[in-house]
Amino acid sequence: MTEPFDFKQCTTMLKSTGKRARNLRELRECITVIDEESMFHHTFQYFLKGHLLEYTNDFAHWAGESLEERALSERLSSIDPYEFDTMESLRKSILTVIDDYLKKFPEPRQAMAGDEFYFNQTLTLIFSSGIRARNLAECLMGIKYVDPTSIYYHFFEARMRLGADDFSTWIAGPLERKSLAEKIRAIDPFMHSLEEIRQHLYDTIETELKTEMKTPGGEL
Amino acid sequence: MIEKYHGISPKSDLVLLQKLGERLAGKSFLHINSTRAGGGVAEILHRMIPIISELGIKARWEVIEGDELFFDITKKIHNSLQGKAESITGEMWDYHREVNRRNAAKLDLGADAVLIHDPQPIALVESKTPGKWLWRCHIDLSAPWEGIWEHLSRYCSKYDAAIFSVAKFAQAMHIDEFIIPPSIDPLSAKNREMTPQEIRDAVTKYGLPIDRPMILQVSRFDRFKDPVGVIEAFRLVRKYNDCVLVLAGSPATDDPEGETVLNEVRNYTDGDPDVFVLLLPAFSDEDINALQRAATVILQKSLKEGFGLTVSEAMWKGKPVIGGAVGGIPLQIMHGHNGFLVYSVEGAAFRVRQLLNDPSRAEAMGGKAREYIRNNFLITRQTRDYLSAWFAVENKGKNVLEL
Repeated sequence: MTEPFDFKQCTTMLKSTGKRARNLRELRECITVIDEESMFHHTFQYFLKGHLLEYTNDFAHWAGESLEERALSERLSSIDPYEFDTMESLRKSILTVIDDYLKKFPEPRQAMAGDEFYFNQTLTLIFSSGIRARNLAECLMGIKYVDPTSIYYHFFEARMRLGADDFSTWIAGPLERKSLAEKIRAIDPFMHSLEEIRQHLYDTIETELKTEMKTPGGEL
Repeated sequence: MIEKYHGISPKSDLVLLQKLGERLAGKSFLHINSTRAGGGVAEILHRMIPIISELGIKARWEVIEGDELFFDITKKIHNSLQGKAESITGEMWDYHREVNRRNAAKLDLGADAVLIHDPQPIALVESKTPGKWLWRCHIDLSAPWEGIWEHLSRYCSKYDAAIFSVAKFAQAMHIDEFIIPPSIDPLSAKNREMTPQEIRDAVTKYGLPIDRPMILQVSRFDRFKDPVGVIEAFRLVRKYNDCVLVLAGSPATDDPEGETVLNEVRNYTDGDPDVFVLLLPAFSDEDINALQRAATVILQKSLKEGFGLTVSEAMWKGKPVIGGAVGGIPLQIMHGHNGFLVYSVEGAAFRVRQLLNDPSRAEAMGGKAREYIRNNFLITRQTRDYLSAWFAVENKGKNVLEL
């Protein structure tokens, strides 16, 4: 019997590190010392916060919105955290971008009082949604109805745990549908909200199922 | 009690509450603050304690007692934490500690988790029992007056964890610091659903027209809420748009300036028949609810704000809110998505005009506002967070917990 897909969901709660930065130099100093949980929160968990998709991480967001250093925010936004094997290499890459910028513009702006960068991390609680899929059609229904945090957990958070999203891993593994898994892996994680990701997943799987259900001359 | 939130609160919050309840059932959870009635903390505890009890957790709420001198001192501490220059002498701190000690002797502090609300009972931690102790600060601590935090942090460091409403209120400490925003109760008189007739009755009771767009600000008559700025913005709007302005607020007994500001505002209206300044009696929750539901656009044009939960209350009614970009307001309003953040009278007027002239955009924004509050600022989320913080303290050192 095929190993079922257990839809889990997660809830996160913010924790403060008590550290804050008022300008780019202070941000740089803090990034060098904050722990990996805080790095993870400000990069990988950006999509949990429901921002409008103008940036791809909190550092870019702050540089753009609070410091109004647009060129810097564009460069920070182009960093893909999934390209790095370790959090340390991601940290280094962010520091390199900031250092380059500081060489060109050594006197960056101060953030307004109250608009400083606050270094946080998260407590994540994971629990089963009580929904389990035994085949692709059930998986499609699950994707349609599960809580958005379930989409986050399986599509974004899984990349940190496994290097790939849970949906494509299950589809390529127990379901042995490699080409469908490839199509899912081709969904750009940075360009969509959670609901758009849900829709992309749904459309991709639905198209596959419709194609399979058709007999010659049939139309769905 | 919990079943009343089905179909209102996010399902995931209710599922997690149930899961946390399974883990913490049979344990005891004690809340301690300094007042049984009045203020947002007491209001939410009245509703939250039954929810926690229904999960099988032995929830208890105790209130410390103090005399006038004690509460004068704690008012000074409160103001000082919010940045006001206050002189708190060594004798005052000693008295604060002594009153806490007397209360500790009288109260049963035994519980698996003890949540102490605000600075009044903070020194109870000196009589700490074996359970987990958490200090919950509801105050804006972003710019405390010199020296005040150093004194309080001596108590704070004895707790297992601290809880703040907003990340920028958190302080550098060596204990876990959780960020838990406040919440509104969708079932309370202030927020419950109302029939069109109930809304009409309330609006006509105050002599307000029902056939013209209504711009509303609900707030105390306090200069930091900028009621005069709201009237100025309204005058700019009126050049092109027919509408009325309603400024509604209740008198605050702890605010001696309230009456002066109210008179200033009344004078500033200059007899304009389209500006309605309503001084509502205390406990006018149902009327405020109705006014918010009757309004076309709601303003919260504050110049300084704590969290500003009135914004969440207005957004919950599906209204686009235009708020000053201060305090906790930017955490509730995502500019251009579910409302607008403004920095000036002119900015407020411009956004009001935009919304009055594009009702479909206003409606869409209001819909997003309600959903945003549903997902982030309802009492079930805050209850879930308190239990999560307790569970996390019990599992110290882990940032990922599977239930």
